[in-house]
Amino acid sequence: MTATPVPAMVELQGVAKRYGEVNALHRVDLSIAKGEFVTLLGPSGSGKTTLLNLIAGMITPSSGRIVIDGRDATTLPTNRRGLGMVFQNYALMPHMTVFENIAFPLEVRRLSKAEIKRKVGEALELIQLGHVANRKPRELSGGQQQRISLARCIVYNPTLILMDEPLGALDKKLREQMQLEIKRLHAELGITMLYVTHDQDEALTMSDRIVLMNGGRIEQQGAPDTLYFRPETVFSAEFIGSSNLIPGTVEIDADGAYALKTALGRFAAPAPDMALAAGAPAVLLVRPENMALAAAPTAASVAGHIEDSILLGGVVRHFVRCANGSTLVIQELNQPGRSGAHRGDAVRAAWQPQHGRLLPPAPAG
Amino acid sequence: MLLLAPLTAVMLLILIYPLGLTLWTSLYNGRFSFDAYAELASSTLFLRVLRNTFEIAVGGTLVSLLFGYPVALHLAAQPPRKRTAYLIMVMLPFWTSILVKSFALVAVFGNQGLINQFLGFVSGGTVNLPMMFNRVGVILGMINFLLPFMILSILGSLLSLDRRLILAAETMGAGPLRIFWKITLPLSMPGVLAGVLINITLSIGMYITPALLGGRQDMMVANLVDFYTRQTLDWTAASATAMVLLILSGLLVAMLGKVRGAAGLAGAGA
Ligand SMILES: Nc1ncnc2c1ncn2[C@@H]1O[C@H](COP(=O)(O)OP(=O)(O)OP(=O)(O)O)[C@@H](O)[C@H]1O
Ligand SMILES: [Mg+2]
Repeated sequence: MTATPVPAMVELQGVAKRYGEVNALHRVDLSIAKGEFVTLLGPSGSGKTTLLNLIAGMITPSSGRIVIDGRDATTLPTNRRGLGMVFQNYALMPHMTVFENIAFPLEVRRLSKAEIKRKVGEALELIQLGHVANRKPRELSGGQQQRISLARCIVYNPTLILMDEPLGALDKKLREQMQLEIKRLHAELGITMLYVTHDQDEALTMSDRIVLMNGGRIEQQGAPDTLYFRPETVFSAEFIGSSNLIPGTVEIDADGAYALKTALGRFAAPAPDMALAAGAPAVLLVRPENMALAAAPTAASVAGHIEDSILLGGVVRHFVRCANGSTLVIQELNQPGRSGAHRGDAVRAAWQPQHGRLLPPAPAG
Repeated sequence: MLLLAPLTAVMLLILIYPLGLTLWTSLYNGRFSFDAYAELASSTLFLRVLRNTFEIAVGGTLVSLLFGYPVALHLAAQPPRKRTAYLIMVMLPFWTSILVKSFALVAVFGNQGLINQFLGFVSGGTVNLPMMFNRVGVILGMINFLLPFMILSILGSLLSLDRRLILAAETMGAGPLRIFWKITLPLSMPGVLAGVLINITLSIGMYITPALLGGRQDMMVANLVDFYTRQTLDWTAASATAMVLLILSGLLVAMLGKVRGAAGLAGAGA
């Protein structure tokens, strides 16, 4: 974070959207700084597209105010918001060539023919697709089409670009390549980007900040590291990364040290970020990569036996079945000469107490 | 397969047999010759009627396109339930006989018709805008029949247009006029072309409408066939004329098939 506050590119103030009885978006406050790369992450139906379309002006909010670049845009028509949008299905004009597609927004802005030619050329250069200028979109691969739709977006230098799952239709390898390409364009051009995805890896890879959505509300927002290491709810912990969650009740020592009393034992844990009273129900989160197999009891460990071990290339994942029937997941680096653990072996799942994190229990339902 | 046999026989009997007979009559008059066609080619009456036919068909089709496109555009913008209700209204002309409709048109557009009476009432004099028993009358009568085909054909194209293209254009700053000219219109061209061809094909064979609502100058090819068979009893000329009409319509239908095919391809590629 910089010392001087960056002016906001987008500001949502208490923006809500209802469809009849459905609350697609509850009152949301969100501010996006100029030049920031913000990702809206969340499960299907959590309101990501709704939020994006509200900013694009394709739908109007039921209440609240939308400010774009210091201007009240709540009721401004889409075509006067001066932003760019990249669609999941690319939305390229099928009857126009690649050149004509990219030239379209420049023609809208009444640039001269020569200038259009130069700018389209530059944009094609930027995405390294100069050789397809005269083709129709349907003669291109999905990845190429998406790059053209990116070029069409950046060619007119919008100050804000919205993307709704732009890579959703591409295969994994191409998706990773395009993620880097979009990141590169963001760094080079300094455009503010608001990016929608339901893929947590994509969000972690690309974002300056992740806004995690759940049921039409913002569940938590912060830098990828913050969301990963300091989730504030069980939902956040489970949505980003994988997690071991052990339910129990909070105990606080005379000297203020926290612990959780659970069916698997009593585990010391760092003081929580949120208010958790002694005796209150809580959940202990330990990431699988912070757990290890141990032979003897440690400061925090649970006895069990190996139910399964799977090899994922660089890492190995062990599933340890505990006495009360719950399963803990341990993730270790896969190294040559790694001591083999076999199905049925009696082991202990151990972690360092400072790697645990106390969270309020998930709301019922 | 077996069930198709009787059907094929019936088709042969009611379609191919008379067609063959017509062809035969046009070519055989005591002896076998192309004389009837040669005579047609040099007949001023036939050539004038042929020109009439094209003028009326093209004129009627253009008027139908002019009215049909905005209606289709409006229908495409409606929510599905409303659209169905409106579509029933569009199909309404098909529920009444062309004869009844023709008389109804006279009641509205004729010299003593509603419009002239209204204009007379407004202007305080007698108004006799000639709108019946001339070319205007023929075209008015025709579009009544042609419009539904035009509207349905264009509506099909408009409904298959991806709405996200319009949204994309809007985010790029395009106004409604540019979106119409650059996106909606070109992408609905297959429907427009199909509608135009259907309309021309239908109107080229018009018979009752020009007979009831047109003047002397508005004779069309089908009326000429009638003229030869019933007034001059020249069956050879009548058959040759009918064959020319058939070939013209056949060519148009073939073109229609091409357009349909192209439209299908465009849809599959998008
Ligand atoms: N036009 C609409 N009419 C009624 N309900 C709608 C409409 N659009 C969205 N909704 C509802 O609003 C909620 C949020 O939808 P939204 O499209 O924003 O979800 P999303 O997070 O983008 O999901 P996905 O990941 O599946 O795209 C959903 O419950 C959805 O059913
Ligand atoms: Mg969505």
